[in-house]
Amino acid sequence: MKTLIMGNEAVACGALRAGMTFFAAYPITPASEIMHVLAEKENEIAFVHAEDEIASIHMAIGASLAGRKAMTSTSGPGMSLKQEGIGLAQMMEVPLVIVDVQRVGPSTGMPTLPSQGDIIQAAHGSHGDYTAIVLYPSSVEDCYRYTIEAFNAAEESRSPVILLLDGFLAHLSETVDLENLPVSLKARTLLPLGQGRRHFTGLLARDGIPRTKDSEYYREWYARVKNKVLQAAQNYRFYDYLKNDQAETLIIAYGITHRVVLPLRHEYSLFKPVTMFPILDKEIRAAADAHKKIVVVEMNDGQYRGEVQKLLRQEVLSIPVLGGSISLNEIRQRLHEL
Amino acid sequence: MNYKDYIRWERMPTTWCPGCAIGTIFKQLTFALADKGLRQEELVLVSGIGCSGRAAGYFNVDSVHATHGRPIAVAEGIKRANDRLKVIVFSGDGDLVGIGGNHLLHASRRDVDLTVICVNNGIYGMTGGQMAPTTPVGLKTLTSPFGNSYQPLNIQGIITANKRHWFARTSTYHLPGLQKALRGALDWKGFAFIEVMAFCIENSGRRIGFRNGYEMLLKLKQDYKIPLNPEAPLKENELGVMKNDGQTS
Repeated sequence: MKTLIMGNEAVACGALRAGMTFFAAYPITPASEIMHVLAEKENEIAFVHAEDEIASIHMAIGASLAGRKAMTSTSGPGMSLKQEGIGLAQMMEVPLVIVDVQRVGPSTGMPTLPSQGDIIQAAHGSHGDYTAIVLYPSSVEDCYRYTIEAFNAAEESRSPVILLLDGFLAHLSETVDLENLPVSLKARTLLPLGQGRRHFTGLLARDGIPRTKDSEYYREWYARVKNKVLQAAQNYRFYDYLKNDQAETLIIAYGITHRVVLPLRHEYSLFKPVTMFPILDKEIRAAADAHKKIVVVEMNDGQYRGEVQKLLRQEVLSIPVLGGSISLNEIRQRLHEL
Repeated sequence: MNYKDYIRWERMPTTWCPGCAIGTIFKQLTFALADKGLRQEELVLVSGIGCSGRAAGYFNVDSVHATHGRPIAVAEGIKRANDRLKVIVFSGDGDLVGIGGNHLLHASRRDVDLTVICVNNGIYGMTGGQMAPTTPVGLKTLTSPFGNSYQPLNIQGIITANKRHWFARTSTYHLPGLQKALRGALDWKGFAFIEVMAFCIENSGRRIGFRNGYEMLLKLKQDYKIPLNPEAPLKENELGVMKNDGQTS
């Protein structure tokens, strides 16, 4: 059955389809609709409207340890607060999904306007080194599909996976037929609490015993965990590449920005990463090799451009779309000026 | 069950200093668990950061050592995910009522079925002895070198402000009272909070003239009294239980 729903609602439906049975969050624009949908499912799932963002992610960690697929959702200001929990989930290797519906920052910024300003925060927001899987859909149907993939990736990598949206996509309504969408689900990978004698800690630990002064073990542990996430991420390389044989310029755009620049496919090649991190090295390199110029169009001041530039080791141009409003005409004009 | 079954012996000795009060509370809790006959598979211990926060790793059950201030939030997630588990939080005053104060406020308001044991030594011990929200007025610490000028937080007031509540204040000197409080809290269906008055010899006591932990223990004996009328609200120097099942006005 076809229904008209918005991106946020599709995320909630996707989470339910993925088998999520624990959700905790704190209200925030423009992410609250995810909460609204899930609050009505209180008979089917454990739903907590928590006292703050920090509590909600830590509740989700507890619930995941206790055997449930768990999720929390927020926007930029809340994402900053959740970084503590993201680090803990990385250290304790807890599967979890965190949804960040981006709005214009820093700080309270422009709460109702969309942005893509949390790209770096999503990958590197918590302190210390860790490897994050970050997905970013660009249509309502994809919000549903990639919420499910985020849960699968979380289970397979035993790590907190971040699903990015922007305020535009979150509130974009589209007609979708979700029930008939084929999906595959990953089973739980973590034995629930109540086994008898395991110790989960935010400290560096080996078999539950802290090893806080063992530099050699840290290196061994770090390599194992990094490799584990990178291996799992191999199965989650999502992108869309529209190659235009006449084009000399490749536009890289993601999320709502990809939707806006889509009409430019007759003049340019378009590459849309859905898997933002770990960066799609082979795919982006291959696309870049066939073009003279590479431009990243994004609603921030070149955050992903920096990542692409680092990958390609060549100059990558940037068209930052700032302040929460986006127009195809303006982007087209700035492309001509490059 | 024997109390020894709840201790992870290969982790001994603990990180706690000689003369520390935490070990007493830790052992008394294992007595209470044995008394209740709780199986390891139905128990989860959660703690936060600080000296008391290390306790989780010393219990021979599934345990979680959360980030600073967050054990109550993690414990609430565990309990809501699996109601069959007995979830116990064991942490310090800085962790539970300082940085984690918001979670305490709201988990107690929601009356989540948790047993929370707060080791109140009135100091941030692990970081060297800084002022805590529970530090008595006038006490000199690393961050109040001229004496603390703030009133300590009234934890009992916070917990008992909720209509349905279970609160006990006890001390590491008053062992029968401590044991009774632990058993009572484990039996209570809902949010049960035990404030165990303790002390820190190494990072507080020595700075203010105590020579050893035993002297600090005797100070607890001097400072805290068991009231004759157990039904009256506890004064700040009194030990006992305050509870309301939510039906009584």
